[in-house]
Amino acid sequence: MNEPPTEGIKYVDSKVYLPYDYVAGDSKVRYLQALKQKRILGSKCSKTGKVFVPPLVNSPESFAPCTELVEVADRGVVTTFCIVNIPVIGRNLEIPYVAASVALDGAAISIFALIQECKPEDVRMGMRVEAVWKPDGERQGDHEDIQYFRPTGEADAPQESYINRL
Amino acid sequence: MTNLRNVAVVGFAQLPVVARDEHRMSTEMLYPVVRQALAECKVERDDIDYQIAGSVDYMDGRPFGFVAALDVMGSWPARQDLHLEMDAAFCAYYAWVRMQAGECDTAIVVGHGKTSEGEPDRVLNLQLDPYYQAAIGLDPTSTAALQASAYMARTGVTDRDLASIAARNRAAGVRNADNQVRSAASADELMKTPWTVEPLRKGYLPPIGESATCMVLAAEGKARKLCDRPVWIQGVDHRSEMQTLGARDLSRSAGAQLAAQKALAMAGMKSASEADVVELYGATPVEELIVAEALGIEPNAAHPVINPSGGPLCGNPVMSTGLIRMGEIFRQLSGRAGERAVSGARRGIAHAAQGHCLQQNIVWVLGTERRWT
Repeated sequence: MNEPPTEGIKYVDSKVYLPYDYVAGDSKVRYLQALKQKRILGSKCSKTGKVFVPPLVNSPESFAPCTELVEVADRGVVTTFCIVNIPVIGRNLEIPYVAASVALDGAAISIFALIQECKPEDVRMGMRVEAVWKPDGERQGDHEDIQYFRPTGEADAPQESYINRL
Repeated sequence: MTNLRNVAVVGFAQLPVVARDEHRMSTEMLYPVVRQALAECKVERDDIDYQIAGSVDYMDGRPFGFVAALDVMGSWPARQDLHLEMDAAFCAYYAWVRMQAGECDTAIVVGHGKTSEGEPDRVLNLQLDPYYQAAIGLDPTSTAALQASAYMARTGVTDRDLASIAARNRAAGVRNADNQVRSAASADELMKTPWTVEPLRKGYLPPIGESATCMVLAAEGKARKLCDRPVWIQGVDHRSEMQTLGARDLSRSAGAQLAAQKALAMAGMKSASEADVVELYGATPVEELIVAEALGIEPNAAHPVINPSGGPLCGNPVMSTGLIRMGEIFRQLSGRAGERAVSGARRGIAHAAQGHCLQQNIVWVLGTERRWT
């Protein structure tokens, strides 16, 4: 019995089950509810006026509170992007696809977004894009309400207009 | 003993403990507390050299969730920062060590955790080894009950004794507006509450609660600029015990005893009885009794006063309960304790614990005078 076992249990199958019930926070609740009306809300820094999307309770940069919710546009500019050639768990996307940072007009920081309705090789920094929303009646007040962003066909934005909003 | 650097607690803020804050995420709860602690010291974030946070990602259900706290701690321009999956009372030790090394003069120490979002029993089960202990479903209440049985068998302490300890905390807790439980209850009433896990009754256990806390520490030279009545750290020590519950005498806390001996020696004290006020992290009456024994104080004596705040039985927000013990001693010794002030208190002891059956213990000795000159 002091010899190493030649057969027997080699693994312990341990299943971890941890349910969570998250509080979104009041400003994010308003943000999510506004998506149903095809509106995107940000919060405005009381010191610098910078607008954060989704809303934050304070500016991480200035440390001042954000006391006001404001609406930003559902269109903006691609600030940086990458072309993805591996599938995403839980999403049925044709590869390659483009994941981008989009600085919405009126926002001081960018959000992550999917770019569709164009070839990956045509995507570029400075390209103007707009949100494609789920149809009326199908929006649930979550991030899936914006299906993706697509090019608007407008002229590219100059680099200095977005270089500080990467 | 070699002279160490004098470091003081100069500010403390907390949210009142609640069962569940429906309006704020964990970091949204933390932000106003950091602001309040800094405002109390009349400083801006730029005056702070170092920051450290205590939280549990498993409790928050967010891998690397602690990183979100950086946004609400004023971490820009980029800061020296550390995070522990421990109660913030242990984080304070790291800040103190950094100050001993001369690497910083000021620090904020925060605790946060949205206990209501997950199921603490399931999460804390994962602290145990996955083969023998976690697998059979042990949770903190059942391990505390194992410890309680062992302690009662060794000492002869009865159900009524436990009820008396709980009743004393409940009576004191009425005077603390930050408590979740603010109603007195007699020992007789508490003895009628049902068993949660025998020998622990519902009335001997704190409800699930959440809060956020922030303490400001400052070394000599800065401390008096930040606070009119700084409370000086005179001694500190922390000890961890073995994880295997069966490998230690659960009826005692060897770790708390050794930490107390070392911290008292650092403070130049012969006995914990020289303190005027003591805040113990006893999440059950038995934990309080075991820690009192380890410190060498009499749980029912008039001096030192134990848990004038009401103790963890009246508010047990994960990650903050220990820092609140330190914050309470700061309040007591700096004239901020309001109607629960212990008259003439000049020296206090804050104890914090973490893990099943008091696995880790830290003991802080705080006083109105500087320790080293």
